[in-house]
Amino acid sequence: MLSLLIWVPIIGAGVIAFAPGEVSGARARLGAIGVSGFLIGLSALLLFQFDLGNPEMQFQEYIPWIESLGLNYQLGVDGLSLLLLSLNSLLILISILSSKIDIERPRLFFSLILLIAGGVAGAFVAQNLLLFFLFYELELIPFYLLVSIWGGSRRSYAATKFLIYTAVSGACILLAFLGLVWFSEASTFAYDTLMGQMLPLGLQFVLLALMLVGFGIKIPLVPFHTWLPDTYVEASTPVAILLGGILAKLGTYGIFRFGLGLFPEAWSNLSPYLAIWAAISIMYGAMAAIAQKDIKRMVAYSSIGHMGYILLGGAALTSLSVIGSISQMVAHGLILAVLFNLVGVVEAKVGTRELDVLNGLMNPLRGLPATSSLLVMGAMASAGIPGLVGFIAEFMIFQGSYERFPIQTLLAVVGTGLTAVYFVILLNRTCFGKLDNSTSYYPEVTFGEQVPALILATLIIFLGLQPTWLVRWIEPTGTAMVAAVSTESAAQVATLSVPVVE
Amino acid sequence: MDFANLSAQLNAGAILPEGIVIITLLVTLVWDLIVGRSSTKVTPYVAIVGLLIATGTLFLQWDTTEPISFLGSFNGDAISLIFRGIIAISAAVTIPISIRYVEQSGTSLAEFITILLTATVGGMFLSGADELVMIFVSLETLSISSYLLTGYMKRDPRSNEAALKYLLIGAASSAIFLYGISLLYGLSGGETRLSAITASIISNGLDESLGLVIALVFVIAGIAFKIAAVPFHQWTPDVYEGSPTPVVAFLSVGSKAAGFALAVRLLVSAFPLVSDQWRFVLTALAILSMVLGNVVALAQTSMKRLLAYSSIAQAGFLMIGLIVGTDAGYSSMVFYLMIYLFMNLGGFACVILFTLRTGTDEINEYSGLYQKDPLLTLALSICLLSLGGIPPLAGFFGKIYLFWAGWQAGAYGLVLIGLITSVISIYYYIRVVKTMVVKEPQEMSEAVANYPEIQWNLTGMRPLQVSIVVALVFTSLAGVLANPLFNLATGSVSKTPMLQATEPMTPVVSQAPEQLPMPTVESVDL
Amino acid sequence: MNLAEGVQIVSLGVLAFLMLATSLGVVLLDNIVYSAFLLGGVFISISGLYILLNAGFVAAAQILIYVGAVNVLILFGIMLVNKRQDFTPVRNAWLGKAATAIVCFGLFALLSTMVLATAWPISSGPIAGDAALVEIGKHFFSDYLLPFELASVLLLMALIGAIVLARREFLPEEMVDSTDEVLTLPERRRELTSTPRQ
Repeated sequence: MLSLLIWVPIIGAGVIAFAPGEVSGARARLGAIGVSGFLIGLSALLLFQFDLGNPEMQFQEYIPWIESLGLNYQLGVDGLSLLLLSLNSLLILISILSSKIDIERPRLFFSLILLIAGGVAGAFVAQNLLLFFLFYELELIPFYLLVSIWGGSRRSYAATKFLIYTAVSGACILLAFLGLVWFSEASTFAYDTLMGQMLPLGLQFVLLALMLVGFGIKIPLVPFHTWLPDTYVEASTPVAILLGGILAKLGTYGIFRFGLGLFPEAWSNLSPYLAIWAAISIMYGAMAAIAQKDIKRMVAYSSIGHMGYILLGGAALTSLSVIGSISQMVAHGLILAVLFNLVGVVEAKVGTRELDVLNGLMNPLRGLPATSSLLVMGAMASAGIPGLVGFIAEFMIFQGSYERFPIQTLLAVVGTGLTAVYFVILLNRTCFGKLDNSTSYYPEVTFGEQVPALILATLIIFLGLQPTWLVRWIEPTGTAMVAAVSTESAAQVATLSVPVVE
Repeated sequence: MDFANLSAQLNAGAILPEGIVIITLLVTLVWDLIVGRSSTKVTPYVAIVGLLIATGTLFLQWDTTEPISFLGSFNGDAISLIFRGIIAISAAVTIPISIRYVEQSGTSLAEFITILLTATVGGMFLSGADELVMIFVSLETLSISSYLLTGYMKRDPRSNEAALKYLLIGAASSAIFLYGISLLYGLSGGETRLSAITASIISNGLDESLGLVIALVFVIAGIAFKIAAVPFHQWTPDVYEGSPTPVVAFLSVGSKAAGFALAVRLLVSAFPLVSDQWRFVLTALAILSMVLGNVVALAQTSMKRLLAYSSIAQAGFLMIGLIVGTDAGYSSMVFYLMIYLFMNLGGFACVILFTLRTGTDEINEYSGLYQKDPLLTLALSICLLSLGGIPPLAGFFGKIYLFWAGWQAGAYGLVLIGLITSVISIYYYIRVVKTMVVKEPQEMSEAVANYPEIQWNLTGMRPLQVSIVVALVFTSLAGVLANPLFNLATGSVSKTPMLQATEPMTPVVSQAPEQLPMPTVESVDL
Repeated sequence: MNLAEGVQIVSLGVLAFLMLATSLGVVLLDNIVYSAFLLGGVFISISGLYILLNAGFVAAAQILIYVGAVNVLILFGIMLVNKRQDFTPVRNAWLGKAATAIVCFGLFALLSTMVLATAWPISSGPIAGDAALVEIGKHFFSDYLLPFELASVLLLMALIGAIVLARREFLPEEMVDSTDEVLTLPERRRELTSTPRQ
């Protein structure tokens, strides 16, 4: 079952890339849509078959592989993986739908996207650290090619920057994994065996720090974020959706699964600093977004801020905040995807992303009324307006973290306020105002181009009104995670009486 | 004394594979003499078949109980079997990729194959040589054949220059190596068998003498020249650039494997008394090779020079396995060599094909190749990415195993440098991939724009195509289906008495925090 | 000290002096022909040392191989090339020379320390003398059989290689066919008479 999620897209990628004879772009696209539709169906099936009361790994699969390296093909999902897995399937479809119909070199493009789909699914379900790393690194080359072939004018620079950062991130993570396995004297990289490691606290800090740097680059958190604006902006719309919606989630997933899951003591000791880091990230992202003149770049910076909420929720370590964080991963994936999609549509129709040039898109006759109303909705969701999914997630995070870290949480709330500020700027400039009379009619937005945003908007509104549909899958996992941390750190403190760094 | 008796006494069966290669060599030569120039239709395939049969007989000897033959001159133990297999296969892959190249350059093929086979014999004997005279003679057989091969395109001044450089530096390093082993001979009181040298040195009370250290340094200089480790690498870029590309392919794999075989045997069995010192020296060489090889490769514009520096860097990675000296270390080195064989030869095969079609090997000229030749683009990309260690290609598993073995043995510093430098290496490998794949049609280079129509039915093109595809398939799948290779590598180490006798040494470079109890190095179930 | 020992010491001194003087000549003289002849002198002095050590066969082999073959070959090489070229003096050449001298003296010091400091084990067996020939032959057919046989392969290959390098290359007409336009090699573009790159 889980294997299907990994291998169907990879095989699909192979077929699209190597099918003999001429394959037209439309057929390649159709094939990719078919595969991703299958993935969505499969994820839906998984969602309904998932045992809600069980916080353990489900749908486990195990095939011995290279045992001398401690590498086995070991899969499983819990609530955290499951939702991200479904998000992945959905965003792959969205991304394919938002690609241009007449895209250049369609076979390569769609096969790379499907390769990413398989790789990300693999990383989300891998229960072996080395297997995770393998899938994690598998993303590198497809993303590099996607950015550098189909990107904007500075794509070569952006892609190289992305490559270097990501390769460094991979090296850090591999080092952390190797260190963890060797120092805990395990002979395998299996996640469940490593859960029970009892390493000295100092060593845990070092390994956790390595992991935070590694995943922090991917997310990205503030000092490691400089690749993000370039890459997000230079990437074409479908790739930007994947980068922001999925790749960044791989980072947060890694932090939650491996950082929090494997080093609970170190994590809880570091959590105040992590919360400060999160608050800085949020503030920085929001401030930087306000300063932008390019709407895509603005959305890209907004992503940095939103990733900060996730870290804040993880640092707070109350079950509410952790659940909120996981919801935020999903919510952010949906919202960012809709924003990038709409920005892409605006750029395609109007021909610019400059905030100073855009004006009056709401104009019902000559503007892009449907697109701009969706944009308003997306911006509201991103700014955390109640009734939309972003609000639910942020509210849970703040609610959960306030009791532990009031100051940091307040800063984050201020950050949310700033988010509203720059989205108001964005909407005010682009959607409202008077459309210049000299501007002719913008080309019509076809229904096909509208579909991805409509799907996402429906989901954003639905999950905003019915948050239980989002939270019910995460609740047992989130609670179990927090419980594991508190018992373990309590045991650690009790038995070893290690001076707790506070 | 009848022949059977004599052969049994000498245990001549142990060198059967080499015997087969020598017979193949003679058949090639004589056939070419009889038939003349048209022999080129047959000889390469005879040579390939001979090499494959030799490899097959190596497999049959896997479980041999009597490895020592020729009164101690030769030791056909498991580790030598695997190295000899690697060398034979590298020659067997080099021949099909060289047919068209040699034909095209207007030189004769049969002699080329003969010399290549002699080099192979030299390398194979070197992997099993257990005695100083044997080591030197087989080393020279390998080296002199290599010099000849390097200068084989004698109408090309670059090839002449490369051959001369290689000859001079090689002769100098051979002389140094010879000086080193003559010191060993003197210190051990006239003992030439490797297994007896140490005991003899101890009984002479010279186990802490200056002479032994100097012998070690000189011997390492000779070995490092063969495996192209920094700072004995200066010949590599020039020789790689100037020599015929198929020769470079063989040098970078077969000759290097022979060098590692020599290193393992000589250092482990003749220098256990100074093992800390040789580990220290090799650590320095490994670090220098990894750093310098990878960093200088960034600036290269010629594909062959790029591969030259990359092979220097790869030698550095391989040395990690040798330095840690655990079972896992040796077997990770063997494993990486097996994978390196295919990915590097695949890379060179692609470079040969491109050079044949366009007459250049500048990296810029690869721009936009994907439009004209998707197979070549794919194969070269996969091989280069595998060299860079991108999962799920074979090179990734090789590197992981090396790092894992190194980490396990506590060589944290080396592993750290290995990791950092392999991140660097990704950059220059991907630069080539980017040139081929990413460039727009209008950015296409002149060479690619004038790319000839792909014709596989010309003489010698089909074998080239076959070997590219074989390398491609192996490189993509060997990592995922690595278990048989793993078993081969670990088996070769655990079956070799020489490697089992030595105990793992304490690491030279370690950055373990002081307060930690050092994890004991146990031969874990690897 | 009896007469024999005296003669030995004197001849050792003479031989050593000859060897050092000729080898310095090889390195320091400007005329390469002189150097080549002096190299012959070095080899002959070494063979004299072998005779002093009672190793007649090795001494004979030394003269036959090094003087008779190697040195003559070098002379042939010099005569055949016969290219007089004036070298422009390199500026600050003394720096390089000084560095070389320092390295060489350092190496010499290291090696001589090693030679003097080591208590070399000396074989206690009887001196073979003229029976060395028989001993060597026995070794060749017992424990050194394999290297001996391998050397034959090496020689065969060296022979072939020498022929390949030395023979006049001809391009059969049938080779120059249409395939040339399809495939190219950088090697192809240079002609036999091309001058090396500067």
